[in-house]
Amino acid sequence: MTLTLMLCLLATLVPVFFSRVSAAPVWLSVQALALGWITLNQHHTLSLHAALAGIEVMLVRALLVPYLLRKAIAKLAQTQHVSLMPSNLFAWGIAVALIIFAFKFGDGARADVRALTLGVVASTVVMAFLVLATNPHKMAQLVALLFMENALALFESLMPEPWPLPVHVSISAVYVLTVAVGSWLVSDPDGTHSDLTPATEERA
Amino acid sequence: MSMPIAQLQVLAPSTTADRGRWILPGMLVSAILIWLASVATFLLLPLDTFPLYFVQRYLVLDATSMLFVLVINTVFLGIGVYMLSRSRGTQELTMELRQRALWSSLFMLVMNIGILSNHLILQWALIEVTTACAVMMMLGGKNGAPKAVAWRYMLYSSMTLAISFLGFMCLSQSAHLRDMHMSFQLDQLAGALTRDKDPWQRLGLAFILFGLGGKLGLAPLYSWLPETYEAAPTSTSALLASVQFNISVVALFRVLQAFQGVEPGFVSQELMLMGYASLVIAAIQIMASRNYKRLIAYACISSSGVIALGLSVGQAAAYGVVLYIVSNAFVKSLLFITAGRMRSVYNTNDVTTLAGVIRVLPLAGMLFAGGIFALLGFPPFASFLAEMLILSGIVQAGNLLAFTLMCVMLTIIFVATGRRIFPMLWGTPVVVRAPMKESVLSIVPKLGFVGLLTMLGTYTPQAVTQLLSAVARSIGGT
Repeated sequence: MTLTLMLCLLATLVPVFFSRVSAAPVWLSVQALALGWITLNQHHTLSLHAALAGIEVMLVRALLVPYLLRKAIAKLAQTQHVSLMPSNLFAWGIAVALIIFAFKFGDGARADVRALTLGVVASTVVMAFLVLATNPHKMAQLVALLFMENALALFESLMPEPWPLPVHVSISAVYVLTVAVGSWLVSDPDGTHSDLTPATEERA
Repeated sequence: MSMPIAQLQVLAPSTTADRGRWILPGMLVSAILIWLASVATFLLLPLDTFPLYFVQRYLVLDATSMLFVLVINTVFLGIGVYMLSRSRGTQELTMELRQRALWSSLFMLVMNIGILSNHLILQWALIEVTTACAVMMMLGGKNGAPKAVAWRYMLYSSMTLAISFLGFMCLSQSAHLRDMHMSFQLDQLAGALTRDKDPWQRLGLAFILFGLGGKLGLAPLYSWLPETYEAAPTSTSALLASVQFNISVVALFRVLQAFQGVEPGFVSQELMLMGYASLVIAAIQIMASRNYKRLIAYACISSSGVIALGLSVGQAAAYGVVLYIVSNAFVKSLLFITAGRMRSVYNTNDVTTLAGVIRVLPLAGMLFAGGIFALLGFPPFASFLAEMLILSGIVQAGNLLAFTLMCVMLTIIFVATGRRIFPMLWGTPVVVRAPMKESVLSIVPKLGFVGLLTMLGTYTPQAVTQLLSAVARSIGGT
């Protein structure tokens, strides 16, 4: 469990500090694989519910969404080489401070799995906020949103019982919708719905 | 035998157009059916039979969900009629309206389930889904870059909801440290809270209120609202302001219901701070605005401010707050769909170009004036009664500073709105235009909203009063 959580944390921190937008789908897949593993091993006995949730995480978060994101990134040649977080000492300093704060938030003194999970969730959320605050590129912002939603999914592992299936499905639907709608909006950032003539620009 | 290609090309678009002819009437029929179902449920089920649970307790029908289901479906019925009336324009506009009608129907379906939801996380996820639907409904807007605005709306929405989620995390941590289990099922949430001072619980509450405040357009996370309401097509702006706003209100009410008697001072201070900041920002922006859609948007921020202030007082103002929220849903819908009609004639949002609009569009102009008076809290509209109740609640709570500040801000907003809107309605026209005829269909929903606002402000049927009181009691009212 601890190793998987560390993998999840690395899959958040490495891309934020060192990676470009084009590599983000791979890191999202890694995050999701770790998440799926945690979901499957959350309890001592593997229930049908946990198995379904784990498979769903693997299929949706590790395969479908990174695939959709990769397709969207491929269309935007100019953003492929953009760093996820601007590479400067100031941003790095703030990022490190936020990670330390996140683990304090996760009750670091109690070095159990729960505290570590909370730290990973909190640091993923704050990293996502940092990318949103420092990077004006919309594709990077979309990746940050997806990181944030993965963190929220990881939060589920803190619950003594997994969320009910409808809640789980809704959260996954939100994740897929975020990437589908987001990448469509981002793919034409200056889109003016230009297929419409001025006469029809008047709207009801 | 073979048809000439030119003839085929002429036929092709009309075939496509015919294929979707049922969409707008279909949306309206479904809106009528859902509205009738919600009214029938309200009339047939006595309040003391609530709460009723459905679908393995994932959905709940109680006073809060009943009231808001009624409100949003009434608003949607009005907007549906308005969209149908507007579909008689150009073919391209009709096609776009059909597309929007499909998204609006999905939006409303998710919204109804979200309001009935008995699980805080499920409700949270459904609000996010409605955001995605709203993005699709925004794309016909006049603003130069609707996709860019839609993206910022989505970004803000996800951020504010993520902040709320952080709050859920903190609540869960708080419960864990006390060896309790936080299930997020609304009817069990209160059981996992403590009345002792718990920093995790307090932090969670702060995050949740801050995040939901952002969804309501409260300062400091308000900047998405004016931009979005201005850029979106007016029917979408109306749905966002009157329907999506209300699901966020329901989420806020659910949290307040669970936290009743827990951290009352803290809740009060945070709401009061956000409420005042919103009123101040709205007052300044309204003074500077020359765009009537933006003006309505800033008025929405000021309304959110009044709601937050009312909620911060608690007990005495609770009934006024609930009445204010209900009346505001109708006011915003009325204003946005009337603004849409004016925009369709003048093709601008600039108040100076629309000077003397009441001579060109007498009915729309009069109804817009009615909407503005309702917005500013004039009698006989419900907003007058609601504002009076909120103000008297603040006085009863003994917070005279809050009372004075609210009165000052509302006066500034009143004067600033009047200075912009009254010349637009009754001023000397820049370009003289002949009066235009307005279809009965486009007037019906606006008259309906004015009728409802007047009814709520003068004579409220006993059953409605009981429902409003039940909701007010659920958030700590007397």
